[in-house]
Amino acid sequence: MRRIVIVGGGTAGWIVAGVLGSRFPRRGEQGVSITLIESRQQPPIGVGEGTWPTIRSTLKQIGVSETDLLRECDASFKQGSQFSRWVDGSDADLYWHPFTLPVSYIDRNVAPYWLEGPRRQSFATSVCFQPELCANGLAPKQITTPEYAGLANYAYHLDAGKFVPFLQKHCVEKLGIRHVYDEIARVESDEAGFISHLVTRSGNQLAGDLFVDCSGFTSLLIGRHFGVPFRACKDVLFVDKAWAVQVPYADEAAPIASATLSTAQSCGWVWDIGLSSRRGVGYVYSSSHVSDEKALDELRSYLSARGDRSAAAELSFRNIGINSGYRQEYWTRNCVAVGLSAGFLEPLEASAIVMIELSAKSIANLLPGSREVMHHAARIFNETFRYRWERIVDFLKLHYVLSRRTDSPFWVDNRRSESIPDSLRAGLEYWRSHSPWHDDFALREEVFSAASYQYVLYGMGFTPENANWLLSDTERNLALESMNETARQAKALVGVLPTNRDLLARVRRYGLQKI
Amino acid sequence: MVNVVTLDSQAHRDLRVSRHTSPHVAQVDAVSVVPREFQRLVAHYPIFFTKNVESGRFEPAVLLGFQKKENLFLVEGRWDVAYVPLQFQRQPFSLIPCPSGDQKTADIGIDLSSPQVQATDGERLFHDDGQPSRYLQSITSILSALVSGAGEGYAFTGRLAELNLLEPVKINIEFVDRSQASLEGLYWIAPAVLKALPATQLAELRDREFLEWMYFQMASMSHISGLVARKNSLLSGVTPSRRVDLEPG
Repeated sequence: MRRIVIVGGGTAGWIVAGVLGSRFPRRGEQGVSITLIESRQQPPIGVGEGTWPTIRSTLKQIGVSETDLLRECDASFKQGSQFSRWVDGSDADLYWHPFTLPVSYIDRNVAPYWLEGPRRQSFATSVCFQPELCANGLAPKQITTPEYAGLANYAYHLDAGKFVPFLQKHCVEKLGIRHVYDEIARVESDEAGFISHLVTRSGNQLAGDLFVDCSGFTSLLIGRHFGVPFRACKDVLFVDKAWAVQVPYADEAAPIASATLSTAQSCGWVWDIGLSSRRGVGYVYSSSHVSDEKALDELRSYLSARGDRSAAAELSFRNIGINSGYRQEYWTRNCVAVGLSAGFLEPLEASAIVMIELSAKSIANLLPGSREVMHHAARIFNETFRYRWERIVDFLKLHYVLSRRTDSPFWVDNRRSESIPDSLRAGLEYWRSHSPWHDDFALREEVFSAASYQYVLYGMGFTPENANWLLSDTERNLALESMNETARQAKALVGVLPTNRDLLARVRRYGLQKI
Repeated sequence: MVNVVTLDSQAHRDLRVSRHTSPHVAQVDAVSVVPREFQRLVAHYPIFFTKNVESGRFEPAVLLGFQKKENLFLVEGRWDVAYVPLQFQRQPFSLIPCPSGDQKTADIGIDLSSPQVQATDGERLFHDDGQPSRYLQSITSILSALVSGAGEGYAFTGRLAELNLLEPVKINIEFVDRSQASLEGLYWIAPAVLKALPATQLAELRDREFLEWMYFQMASMSHISGLVARKNSLLSGVTPSRRVDLEPG
């Protein structure tokens, strides 16, 4: 396994190149050769602008500086998501899904003791200081905090169009990744069905031991060449289209939200993402439930309600198709698919980039020494990632299932039992008398852990029958103390943290220190 | 309340200022310093690097105590060392940046609320003809040394950070009375990185005078034990004898 060929130069291709390139730094005769081939005719799609906190360790591992990322990709700090109007659609309907884990999360489950009452504050605010920071537009760190470290857990909102060239430059200049612009004319296989080499339009041959398919929706290798079937999820996740628009800030002092703002609409939801330079806003909707025109009207009224009235008329809106689903397998023979070629789900919880990171890391961890044992790595990878895609579908669907909105068939249909996966239904049954906890989930690295389930379930007002006989006075006292501690932490941090905009301006001017 | 006004040879012709820094401005546990005073600081103080809270950039500073507002070099309100950092020497004067932002033409400000400002005792600022006194001239040169020194300091620490020559250091101390102090937010020269530094970079540091400053910083670490001794003698009720430290050179 000395020659790795990555097909496609979008977010997936360059993250894989960066992770493998930094993990296996030896090149040429002594080490691994990594080639990334991309066609000039296929402009990268640039999936989502939201990331998960895993991105920090991924970028650190790749070796880029956080200061450069923030400056060159117009990135800003994201500390979680704010969900508005998801439960009953009223003005007061709002809850948080912060990135910082609930207080004492490693040691004890505080949730049952919050559920007991008196529930003076929302679940997220009771067990986590972060919603308070987000509500105040504060950054997760100070200018004196080193790169990639934080006082609160965070990820980024970033301009995907700038992120790709940013990674590319680092991968080529610092990690010695070979970069080829060419188109793939033919895929050649050996007698065992393994890809032996790619023949390019310009007549060159690109031989490799492992081929990573990052070709996007084209699915050049995993789809077109190997014909691995695609499993659509439209029966579970209804949204299949989006209107997207870039919105300028009203002025240079306008606050930059430090959370993704997700606001439910009649037939889907609006994302609102604050970069340092502009906002990215879009409405993902179900075309079976609402027309493109009406959806666009809804997005326009979302913008004008937020004071973007003057701008809303002249902005250019782009329509995007969303085909939610994933391949039946991702690693076949000596080809592994990462990114859109493997699957795509609606961007409700910004799972696209984190799946790329997890895939890249898994490939690096599983990379077999010889092709004879490759099927074993493939089996582990396929089982793990099928599980991950299914869990993401469950978790996204959870938001729709817990909604009590009745204002359109979209919301009502979303709660019909035939649209709910069995695994989610079983989970919901279980969590009726049991609070989600570590052992409920199988993997060491779950995309959405028990913490995420707690935030969404209790944020959306899911009321379990608390199994009081399982509670203990000792644990209760510790849990109450933990919740008091959360309030103290929130107060202390609100006092010392700068606003998101202020910190981003300072980073632009002075940079962050590495230590 | 601080009352800083622009110094004026007419209005302040007869004003007198005491050379003794008043304790209220000196009651701090650390103060930022500039590289060109390292040579004199190294005789008395531990020199570290700390982060500026506004910019996060590293700047050199000397440690004066182990808890907030503790300056162990002040004994009964007087400096117990032969060299006082420029940041204190400049008191109660400061530079008032001109609206244009051009620091070369900044005015000198004086804090009239400072106890150092007196009517009868102390140094005169102006001669009768309105010309600045030698004392005021020395203040002017201190203020300009602080301005140019800040620039030099950032160039110095910026290069050290780029070369990974700074590392965080945590100091835990137990005093005679068993009380403990833990110092954080301090950085020093990473000895291992310096040892392994390629010759070209070492030469660059030497040519820019940085290497000299680095050795002053490293040598100054011997004063941590001296600082602990000052604290211990305070805690055990022994008044330290007025020590006269010899100045280098």
